[in-house]
Amino acid sequence: MRKIPIKFTINGQQKEALVQSNELLINLLRDELYLTGTKYGCGIGECGACTVFVDDELVLACLTLAVTVDGKEITTIEGLAKGKELHPMQVSFLKNAAVQCGFCTPGMIMTAISLMKENPDPSEEEIREYMRGNICRCTGYTQIIKAIKEYAHNMKA
Amino acid sequence: MHTNTRILANKFEYLDPKSLSEALNILDEYQKKNIKILAGGTDLLVKMKTIELNIDYLLYIKEIAELNFINTSNGLSIGATIPFSHIIKEDKIKTEYTALYEAIQAIAAPAIRNMGTVAGNIGNASPAADTVPALIVFDAQVLIESKQSKRTLFLKDLFLGPGKTVLRNDELITRIEVPEVKPNTGSAFIKKSRVKADLAKINLAVAVQRKGQNCENCKIAFGSVAATVVRAENTEKLLEGKALTEELISKAAQGVADEIKPIDDIRSTAEYRIAMSREMLQDALSLAWARTYSEAKPNLKGGGE
Amino acid sequence: MLEQKEHKFDILGRDYDIKNIGKVTGEEKYSCDINIPGQLHAVILRSPYAHAEIKEVDYTEAEKMGAICIGPQDVPDVIYNERIVSIPAKTYRDRTVFPKDKVRHVGEAIAACAAETEGKAFEALKKIKVIWGEKWEPLVTLDDAMSPDAPAIYDNVFLGEERVKISNNLACDRNIDVGDIEEGFKEADIIADETFDVQRVYHMQLETKSAVCQPEADGGITLWTTTQGIHNVRILLGQIFSIPLSRINVKRITLGGSFGSSIQMNSVTPICVALALKARKPVKLVTTREEDMYDHSSYPLKTRLKVGVKKDGTLTAAHCQVWLEIGGHNIQAYPYLGCVAGWFASLYRWKNLRYEGKAYYSNKGPACARRGYGSPQVNFPVENMIDILAEKLGMDPIEFRRKNYVGKGEEFWGQGPTVRSLIRSCGVEEMLDRGAELIEWDKKSELKNKNGKIKRGIGVARGFHTSGTGGPKAGEVIDYSGATVKINEDGSVDVITALMDHGGGTWEAGAKVAAEVLKVPFEKVSIDNGVDTRTTVFDVNTHATRGVYCGCGAIKYVAEKVKEMLLNYAATLFEDRPENLVLALNEELGQGIIYPIDLPEKYKTIAEIADHARINSVGTFVYTSTLRQKNCPPCFITYFTEVEVNTETGEISVPRVVMMGDSGTIINPELWKGQILGAYALGIGLGKLEDIPYNKESGKLNCNGLITDFKVPITTDMPHTDNITVEHAHTYEPTGPFGAKGIGEAALSAVASSFGNAVYDAVGIRFHKLPITPEVMLKALQDKNRIGGKNKDAH
Repeated sequence: MRKIPIKFTINGQQKEALVQSNELLINLLRDELYLTGTKYGCGIGECGACTVFVDDELVLACLTLAVTVDGKEITTIEGLAKGKELHPMQVSFLKNAAVQCGFCTPGMIMTAISLMKENPDPSEEEIREYMRGNICRCTGYTQIIKAIKEYAHNMKA
Repeated sequence: MHTNTRILANKFEYLDPKSLSEALNILDEYQKKNIKILAGGTDLLVKMKTIELNIDYLLYIKEIAELNFINTSNGLSIGATIPFSHIIKEDKIKTEYTALYEAIQAIAAPAIRNMGTVAGNIGNASPAADTVPALIVFDAQVLIESKQSKRTLFLKDLFLGPGKTVLRNDELITRIEVPEVKPNTGSAFIKKSRVKADLAKINLAVAVQRKGQNCENCKIAFGSVAATVVRAENTEKLLEGKALTEELISKAAQGVADEIKPIDDIRSTAEYRIAMSREMLQDALSLAWARTYSEAKPNLKGGGE
Repeated sequence: MLEQKEHKFDILGRDYDIKNIGKVTGEEKYSCDINIPGQLHAVILRSPYAHAEIKEVDYTEAEKMGAICIGPQDVPDVIYNERIVSIPAKTYRDRTVFPKDKVRHVGEAIAACAAETEGKAFEALKKIKVIWGEKWEPLVTLDDAMSPDAPAIYDNVFLGEERVKISNNLACDRNIDVGDIEEGFKEADIIADETFDVQRVYHMQLETKSAVCQPEADGGITLWTTTQGIHNVRILLGQIFSIPLSRINVKRITLGGSFGSSIQMNSVTPICVALALKARKPVKLVTTREEDMYDHSSYPLKTRLKVGVKKDGTLTAAHCQVWLEIGGHNIQAYPYLGCVAGWFASLYRWKNLRYEGKAYYSNKGPACARRGYGSPQVNFPVENMIDILAEKLGMDPIEFRRKNYVGKGEEFWGQGPTVRSLIRSCGVEEMLDRGAELIEWDKKSELKNKNGKIKRGIGVARGFHTSGTGGPKAGEVIDYSGATVKINEDGSVDVITALMDHGGGTWEAGAKVAAEVLKVPFEKVSIDNGVDTRTTVFDVNTHATRGVYCGCGAIKYVAEKVKEMLLNYAATLFEDRPENLVLALNEELGQGIIYPIDLPEKYKTIAEIADHARINSVGTFVYTSTLRQKNCPPCFITYFTEVEVNTETGEISVPRVVMMGDSGTIINPELWKGQILGAYALGIGLGKLEDIPYNKESGKLNCNGLITDFKVPITTDMPHTDNITVEHAHTYEPTGPFGAKGIGEAALSAVASSFGNAVYDAVGIRFHKLPITPEVMLKALQDKNRIGGKNKDAH
């Protein structure tokens, strides 16, 4: 099968790749760019573990063809920290014990950051509604919601 | 047991036109071939992974800029590739097409709403599609184009059965047109699902237009209770010309079950769906009726409870 | 009542946020994230049939495509059980890597391919030809499996070294008698007899099972795999592939959740090894979600419970009969039946009890442990029964529990009938009292909304789990942990252990315990990955809520030996006796220090002492050992759940909950809460949502392994954070490390029970079967209305 050349920005860096038409973004990230923070959880858009930003919008990498990110800007969980300095949402997750096994965490954090962009002062109800596509089996969500609330509170202050 | 949801095993040729005419030319050329249209990917790619839907050509339309629009100057005109989340940024959707707003908010979760499109939701022809009942109660029409022709259909006339529409292989839904909402109209969308990010067990949209104290016009559409989204026309007739009192709404609810044909499936039972059709109709009518009077705040949390 | 004495700690009980940094940056590596240059990607061919004879597996065509393939003919004949936590004499063995004769459930692995990419491997897989022989009807329900006419799923299996015949698909059974129940029932004034069903659910841990295997030049292998215990994986692989354990190195690596599903060596692990050995190249095998769902689930349980009680609320006898279907392989049904007996026996003072348990093979994915190991399954019947009896007696449910619970000084069956010890710390009464106060139990009737469509109710339920499977006698279950603790030349400390962490904070606790003993700042203790079976001593598994009590118990034991070595050497420097020296944490210096008693200004830091030992060629302060705990203390839990039932839609929500836990000393306060909160969500899933029915004709999962139709609780299913209270009992477990015991599995045991009792309180319907979906609830409400609104049972 013919491979298709694409150019994109990944976590601020320009990249070129040759991809097959049926290659998925999740596998481009994980298997070729070794950005393994984006997780496979279900492959059918039901769990949120593969959530990344494409042009500043949340998308599910398991349902995105790699070829369609040509010319786009992708941010994964690895692109959030600035050097050693963590993104404040990452800090808030750590401080609130919102992380247990950690497998859902990258997707959770990406979604939470997107929520903050859209709605910097969300009510708890709005947080829950926004986060409803990200499954976590360890935490029962409570500390995740607290982490997001605390982040919003700190940003306001 | 021969699926693999981590990869897309199906090999296909990827076609990504940058203009509508280019897309229509491709459809015209490939109409006898095994071609599918990809927009958001939230339905098609899932099917390709899980039911071995093998295709040879994939037409990716998301990059066609001229289809990525919403125009609210006269009714609504929704381009085929604009994602759900961009549509509801328009205030007019929330204030005037409340049922549509609520239907979109009831879809899965934010990432899916960034990817999926109304045209895709329609073209997929799932009886459970959330936007379809909402669009139907607003008398939405779809513009269907091919290289050879252009036609407009009422959305309700598009569906033949689960996954089946009247669309020909060379045709593309390019636009959804929704007429201006008449004054004193209220609408609501309600959905029941196992969890909030889920397909509907049953969903329902109603739109009522009030004249004085009476209901001038009423539209009721149920999803996930028959092979296609269905209008409850007898119930609509029962309500039209009358004041929507609690008593009348309750009477309407008793009869509405005769207009749907739900089945038992993995998400729910026919019995439950019938019971819910009554409950939901009462709730939706009351809500929509109240909204005809005031700027009653729509349910900002979307559908569901 | 309060047991806790003054215990001051330098490090325990504080929250740190450094151990999980890799998990928020995406840098944490799970086995599915391991990539080795030159690796092949593998996929598995799985059976489309539930019960069918395999005549031949022919992969010639697949190999022509360049794939490396294996089928039944390529794997060793060794018959094993993938879980070796029980002693061999009590372990049933019924499987090989691939089945040699027939498949016993849809999704059972029968062959595998490895190729340069997963896509290529998957393409090759489709070329494999399987010639099937006889096919039998799938047995997917307990009744089908038990039927005398049912096709035999096995003829023979092994128990230890002994070949045992399987009749009527009965995989194993267990019967236990204590006292004389006939006499006990004669004493009773009231007898209740009820049957309950708790369903099979899928673990739905976020990480699917995987393995990456690198064959080594010397014929050995290096392996990264999802597991709760690296040593048992190594031992099993040694047995199956006849490789000396010294040539098998299993790397300890972070788990993306497990909930009991990786106590056994996962089914993909030996397949990956067999492929790598054949390919002589590294092979990576990661299962898809749909494969994973066919690979493991919880054990269901049907329980008939008959209990006698006197008018004054004294229990006199209980007869507990349980049945379950276990799927196509017997991973651990025998110990499960024993543990169910133990959880049942240890909840209340039944006085006389009889337990009869039977486990049947079926044609479903093999069931295995899931958080609580039968405790949630038997807690639901028992805690419902306690409420039923309390109502019959006219006694408050809390009062009735208080009168009959098994507590301090009494015997707790920590892992079935052979692992028992005496309870020394018990917060049951404190939790009942405090929980009742927080939920305002005395005002519960005011919640009742007599006429509205929303009915409210509050339910209480209590439960527990063991902390490990230690005990005075070795019993049927292997239990010990080990560690190496060494003081580095700069005063920092390495804790080297095979102990696994599911994400609940076991490693953090281990580091804290070592830090507390050696008075080293937490930040200076590593318990990190990068260790493996070659560098660590045996640790049985992180299961049975044993991580803190047993695993960290061993770390404490070893750290104390190192402390002794350190003080002995320091004594030579101070020219004093070691008992005259003080070891303390100096937070300002960020160091542990040692000084002669009452002369703190004369201190030397641990770094100075350790480096002194290096410069003078004295050696390293290091110790390695294992420890077996001699007790299995229960950690208790009590839930007060409030529910709202919408009587028009059947939907049930949980607006408020009080969660009380008893873990002795709390080592990781926030993560401890997280264990309870997380378990609560799982319990709500069990109570109202989760189920994995199989199709009777095809033997397939109705949801086809896709989570589109296996729903688990999401953010919107939990109560508002302000309406959740989590508190702990003030206890101290004298046999635990710094007074600590476990929590993880206890936390799930009573969730669905408190939910069920709350639903009864709200609508007067006693549900005997889970989950209580809106469909089920609405039907039950309609039935109730039909009989005139009296309280009723729903089966």
